[in-house]
Amino acid sequence: MIAPRPPASIGPPAAPAAPATCAHCGLTVPPTLVRAGEARQFCCSGCRQVHTLVHEWGFDQYYRLVEQQRGALEPARVSGRGFDDFDDRREQADATDTVGVGRCRTQFYLEGVHCAACVWLVEKLPAVLRGVDEVRLNLGSGVAEITWRPEDTRLSAIARGLDRLGYTPHLHRRSRAQEARRREDRAALARLGVAVACAMNLMFMHGALYAGDYSGMASPYEMLFRRLSLIVAIPVLLFSARPFFQTAIAGLRARMVHIDLPIAMAIAAAFAASAWNAVRGSGPLWFDSLAMLVAALLGARQVQRGAQRAALERADSLRGVAFLEFARRIDGDGPEAPVVEVPLAALAPGDRVEVRSGELVPVDGVVISGASSLDNAVLTGEAAAQPVREGDAVNAGATNLGARLVVRVEATGERTRVGALLAVVQDALSRKPALLKATDRLARRFVQGLLGLAVVTGLAWLPAGPVVALERVVALLVVACPCALGLSIPLAVSVALMRAARAGIFVKDPDAFDRLRRVDTVLLDKTGTLTAGRATVARWHGDERVLQLARALEAESSHAVARAFREAPGRGLWMVRSVSEVVEVPGQGISGRLDGHHVRVGNMAHVEAGAAAPDEACARAAGAFVEEGLSPVLVAVDGRVAGVAGIGDALRPDAAATVARLRAAGIHVRILSGDHPAVVSRVGARLGLAPEDALGGLTPEQKKRLVEDLTGRAGRRGAVVMVGDGVNDAAALALADVGIAVHGGKGATIVAADIVLTREGVAPLLEIINGARRLRAVVRRNLGFSLAYNLVASAAAMAGLVGPLAAALLMPVSSLTVVLSSALTRTFARPARAETHRAEA
Amino acid sequence: METIFVLLPLALLVAAIAVGFFVWAARTGQFDDLETPAVRILFDGEEPRPSAAGPGRTPGEPVAPVAGSPIPAHPTRRVSE
Repeated sequence: MIAPRPPASIGPPAAPAAPATCAHCGLTVPPTLVRAGEARQFCCSGCRQVHTLVHEWGFDQYYRLVEQQRGALEPARVSGRGFDDFDDRREQADATDTVGVGRCRTQFYLEGVHCAACVWLVEKLPAVLRGVDEVRLNLGSGVAEITWRPEDTRLSAIARGLDRLGYTPHLHRRSRAQEARRREDRAALARLGVAVACAMNLMFMHGALYAGDYSGMASPYEMLFRRLSLIVAIPVLLFSARPFFQTAIAGLRARMVHIDLPIAMAIAAAFAASAWNAVRGSGPLWFDSLAMLVAALLGARQVQRGAQRAALERADSLRGVAFLEFARRIDGDGPEAPVVEVPLAALAPGDRVEVRSGELVPVDGVVISGASSLDNAVLTGEAAAQPVREGDAVNAGATNLGARLVVRVEATGERTRVGALLAVVQDALSRKPALLKATDRLARRFVQGLLGLAVVTGLAWLPAGPVVALERVVALLVVACPCALGLSIPLAVSVALMRAARAGIFVKDPDAFDRLRRVDTVLLDKTGTLTAGRATVARWHGDERVLQLARALEAESSHAVARAFREAPGRGLWMVRSVSEVVEVPGQGISGRLDGHHVRVGNMAHVEAGAAAPDEACARAAGAFVEEGLSPVLVAVDGRVAGVAGIGDALRPDAAATVARLRAAGIHVRILSGDHPAVVSRVGARLGLAPEDALGGLTPEQKKRLVEDLTGRAGRRGAVVMVGDGVNDAAALALADVGIAVHGGKGATIVAADIVLTREGVAPLLEIINGARRLRAVVRRNLGFSLAYNLVASAAAMAGLVGPLAAALLMPVSSLTVVLSSALTRTFARPARAETHRAEA
Repeated sequence: METIFVLLPLALLVAAIAVGFFVWAARTGQFDDLETPAVRILFDGEEPRPSAAGPGRTPGEPVAPVAGSPIPAHPTRRVSE
């Protein structure tokens, strides 16, 4: 252990100044980046760049807005790309429409949009960039629509402007299916509006007619009201109620009974009988009940759509963005050869591309110059970085962690390994089997029973005359319409969806709840799901001040270990004023002079070169870290080993408890990982799993096959849940009964999953499973209510006790019961600490 | 009382026009984004004040960086990350 040392020898004596905060993002500025004498401090170069530009363009008001809106604290990221590939006509085509003469409208998905101030800033772009006419940013989806004039500017210039403001743009391509869904969304709203307006007017006119029934009404007025209500009811039948008829008929064609069939039957019967009665001038009218029913059902569906919107919009905006977008092609030979950013489609095998530090490798190929290390976690699930040098093969989708590489292209697009993988995901999504929903099973019995009752009623009333018999049958069909049934499930589900979203759980497919209640197997990815997915200082042995020194020194390096140190927890209370004589030995460590202390950070060999051997406690700590699967990094101060850090991809703090509780609930938990089997079995053992349940070394294809085997077993009752974050999990997520993408997941997983988490960790998994069980209870209760109502109402209608007025009063009452029952149930609790972040792209 | 034969259809006509506008608005996507307009309205009327470092730009003047030209980097940009 380090000898006690007065704090004065390392930092300024006690009571240090409050840590500086970044003038752009508001985060604490690391001590070594604090610049003495400057009014504004920045946490990173991205923030400094963005702040400078915002100031230069005269948009300082942005910061006042950020304060008002309490914008998220996120350091700005500037990609520094040139975006030349955006000027390619074919690249633009899918994201651009021509509007008017000489104007285009292009859609960008912007990274880093977090609050209203971003909307203000981005929409101010026309004031500083010539040729940009208008910008509209959608805060929910992060998609900006930019109207620009191709003769005055180029798309790459606009993209560079956005990038330099900290919003890295991606061309947002919309597929035909998305266009269709958007049109459907708009039409649904129009239908609801028409239904509500007509229902209100019909209620008012029927009110007059009911009053007339009691106090007498001159027949010309009655005829006027009857005929006008027929006219007002026509748009409800032909326009608003169309979806019910469409699904009912489509269901019949497929020989299935959909819940919409009894609804469509009620609407059709009520309308036909009422229209006949309206024309002939006598007999009951059901127009008001019919319109109310349609308005209530469409309203419930709209509410559910709204609750799903947040999750769907995010998936949609990501679906429009390609995983790999561009490559830096080297044109010509020699060190001075120009580098151009080109779309991937413009690459041919044999081309040479440059991959800079921090960028994704855009193609499958071979390194022809440079040496670096690659992070393949997205592709293979391997946590450790893989060193590459000349002659090594590299795969598209890997992240370059080190120096610049030059790669010879062998395959691009769909022919790369990751391209093939993404194609599998698309395929799996399109073939996901539609499960028979509980409501549909119920609907079939309901329709059978209803038809039986209608026949009985008709025959029983036939002696009273065919007109009376027909009227009784219509009354039965109208009051027995499973309106509350149609309302109860969408409402209960949408309340659950909204509560879940507040807890950081975004559900794209509400049917997932239905499948979740039978869950018996949970498959977990390791890297990025059970663990954070990157190297961190998982354990620390030594004095807090020594960690601060190591962190200050590592701030000078770009190595993966350095990043782990920089992100290490702890407050920067001991300011380091000067850092000098920094020497980095590749593969070993780093050394330097900090405020007069000689500090060395690195492996055993590196530290021993300038310090005495570590004492017993440090050596024991280092040994213990190795046991845990972490790599020990030693820190020596002035010739004495003063601390040991355990660096590695550690388990998330909530992982062990979550797995234990899942198993206590009788759920079979297994790990599916692409990482080395030895690492995976160690993690499995720490979570208490049997060795055969911790599977390592799996390729994405093997993961997919495992899930297929589990879900495809004949006669299975339990559902399979897959939880993951990487592209290598995406196919398995798509094929599992329920796929859950954890926070920080890649675009492909967010598109493939049914549920997306925006909260760190795996603990939300328990909330999801419990929430689904609670939702099931609410739905059952609501079904009970509505079936009881239908039973009583049907009996009354068969006895001839129900007229239009009784129906118009009864139906809202039954619906209201269900609405209250849905709204008052807590399916998902609000988390104690509302740690909901926006999902990162 | 006969006036109801004129007024009632007239009232329904007015309602139909309003509903027609709603359908048009929904179809042209004016209700697509319900979140952003709620915050956007807060900005209206607030003009950005020209900053001290800005090159004395006044609101009417043609705007500074010409499209296509690189956006000038700040002279103090020398942070190592």
